[in-house]
Amino acid sequence: MALRSVSRRLGSRILNHRSFVASIHSHATSFGFQEVKEEEKSKLVGNVFTNVASSYDIMNDVMSGGLHRLWKERLVGKLSPFAGMKHLDVAGGTGDVAFRIYDAVYSVKRRALQKVDEVSLEETQIYVCDINPNMLNVGKQRAAERGLRDNKSLVWVEGDAEALSFDDNSMDGYTIAFGIRNVTHIEKALAEAYRVLKRGGRFLCLELSHVEIPIFKNLYDLYSFQVIPNLGELIAGDRESYQYLVESVRRFPPQERFASMIADAGFEKVEYENLVGGVVAIHSAIKL
Amino acid sequence: MYRTAAKRLLAGGGFTTTRLLRFPKLRSTIIPSSYTSGLCTSSIGGNTESPMDNQSVNPNQSGPTVSSSTGTGEGQRRHESRKPRAEFQEEQARVLSASLRHVPRLGWTEEAMMAGSRDVGVSPSIVGSFSRKEAALVEFFMDECLQLLMDRIDSGLDLQNLIPSERIAKLIRIRLEMQVPYMSKWPQALSIQAHPLNVPTSFKQRAMLVDEIWHAVGDGASDLDWYVKRTILGGVYSTTEIYMLTDDSLEHRDTWAFLDDRVKDAFDLKKSIQEAKYFAEDIGAGVGKSVQGLMNGVMQTMSRRSGGSAF
Repeated sequence: MALRSVSRRLGSRILNHRSFVASIHSHATSFGFQEVKEEEKSKLVGNVFTNVASSYDIMNDVMSGGLHRLWKERLVGKLSPFAGMKHLDVAGGTGDVAFRIYDAVYSVKRRALQKVDEVSLEETQIYVCDINPNMLNVGKQRAAERGLRDNKSLVWVEGDAEALSFDDNSMDGYTIAFGIRNVTHIEKALAEAYRVLKRGGRFLCLELSHVEIPIFKNLYDLYSFQVIPNLGELIAGDRESYQYLVESVRRFPPQERFASMIADAGFEKVEYENLVGGVVAIHSAIKL
Repeated sequence: MYRTAAKRLLAGGGFTTTRLLRFPKLRSTIIPSSYTSGLCTSSIGGNTESPMDNQSVNPNQSGPTVSSSTGTGEGQRRHESRKPRAEFQEEQARVLSASLRHVPRLGWTEEAMMAGSRDVGVSPSIVGSFSRKEAALVEFFMDECLQLLMDRIDSGLDLQNLIPSERIAKLIRIRLEMQVPYMSKWPQALSIQAHPLNVPTSFKQRAMLVDEIWHAVGDGASDLDWYVKRTILGGVYSTTEIYMLTDDSLEHRDTWAFLDDRVKDAFDLKKSIQEAKYFAEDIGAGVGKSVQGLMNGVMQTMSRRSGGSAF
C-alpha cells in the first residue's frame, strides 16, 4: 500500500509529461496512476471487473446519485434507435444501455405513433459485447428477470473491443458506455468501431471526462479521491478497484483530444456534449 | 439582403453548385451544432460573413469554422477536416433529397427520411444525427424551392410587360405551385415550422423568400418602407398558402383568384394609407384653426374686460 502510494506520487509527475507519448510509443500503459506493461493492463482490468461485477449496478447508483440512468437515457435518445437496426453495445456487460435500446425500439407508444411494420421489428438485433464473462452473466440474469431470456433480439457475446468478431460494415450503431477508458489501446478500439459500422452508422461514446470549471473541479476531485474509494470499500468490499476507477478517469484524454482521436479513426461530424459540467461527456460521430 | 445583392453582382452560370452548398451552411448559422454544452459554445459565428468571400473559390466553405473549433492546433488536419465536413453536408443533402419522394406517402417524418437514406444506400442511423430531424427535411425543401424560384427568375421570366401587382402574383404563384405535390402533407410541414424551436429558421427562410420576390419585382427601397413592404408581402403569401390547403378547385383556380385579390388589396392599402394621412392632416389643420380662433376670442374678451389696462 505504501509502496503503491509512493510510486503513484513519483509516477504521476513523470507520467504527466509522458502521458500520451507513453501510450503510443512505448509498450507501457496506464492502469490508473500506475504504469504497467500492456499485457498486464487487460489482466488487471479483468480482475477489477470480475471483482465488482455483482455490485456494479448498485455502486453506479451510489456513486452518481442515480444520475447514471439519466446519462444513459440521454445516450440512447441521441442514438434514436429504429426498428430493424443492428446495434452493437461494447463493454455493455450488465446490459443497461442494451435494455434501454430494446425498450426504445419495442415500446408500444412509439409503435403507435409511427408506422412500423412487424417484419422490421423482428429483424432488430442488439449485440452486447463484453470482455468479461462475469459482467455478461449479470446481464443475462437481468434479462431473464425482465422476461427476455430467450429473446432473439438480444445477443450476448464475449469479445474484445480491440478485436471484434463482427463483420465489416454490419452495424447501424455502436455504443460504448463507461468502457473505453478501460481499453488498452483506444485507437484500436476506435478503428474496430469504424470497421464494423455501416456507411451512415453512428458511433456514440459515453464516458467520464474532464471538468474545467474552477471550484467545481476541486469539489469533484475531492469527491472522487476521498469519497468513492471509501464507498467502494463499504459497499463492494473493494477499495482498490474503485481507486483504479477514479484514477483511470483522470488519465483518460480530455474531451477535445478524444474527439480528435475519433476523427483520426476516420469518423466524421465528430461532436461532444458535456453533461454535469464535464463530469460526463457524450462523443458522437458518423462513419461516411 | 446583402447576399442577394452580392449574388446579382457575381451572377452568371457557374455558381449554382456553390449556391446549393451555401444553404446548408445557412441553416448552421441558426442551429448551434458541434461541441454543445452548458459551457463550451460553438464557434460558428464566422459563417455569416464567409459566403461572399468564398463563393467563387471552392464548395468547401464550412470547413474553416469546424476545423478551428476542432482546434488541437494541428495545421495539417485543418485541410483534412475541410473535406469531410463538406462531405457530411452533401450526404445529408442527398438523403433529404431522396426523402422528399417519400413525403407524400409517409409525411414529413423520420420514416420518410429513413426510407430516403435507404434509397441513397446509407444506414438509416444517419437520420439520428440530423438536428431537429423533421425540421431538417422541411427546411431543406424550403431552401430547394427558393433555389428553384431564383433559377426560374434568372433564366428569364417575362416580367417586364406586367405591372408590379401582377408580377408579384405571378412569382407567388410559381412558388406555391412547387408545393402542390406535397399538398396533402403540407399542414404537417406548417406545424413543424411553427414549433418554437424551428421558428427562427422558418422565419428567416420566409424573410429571404419575400426579399427575393420583391427584388425580382424591381424594388430598390431601403428605408422604413422596406420593412412594411416585406411584412405585407409575407402576409399575402402566408394567407394564400393557407387558403391553398383547403382548395380543391380545378388546378387551384380559386387560390389564384384569392391571390390576385389579396395583392390588389395590398396595393390599395398603400393608397388608403396615403389618403388616411392627408385626411388626418386636413382634420388637424381644421381643428388647429378653430382652436386658434377660440384662443384669440378669449384674449380679446379679456383685454376688453380689463378695459385697456396696463398692457
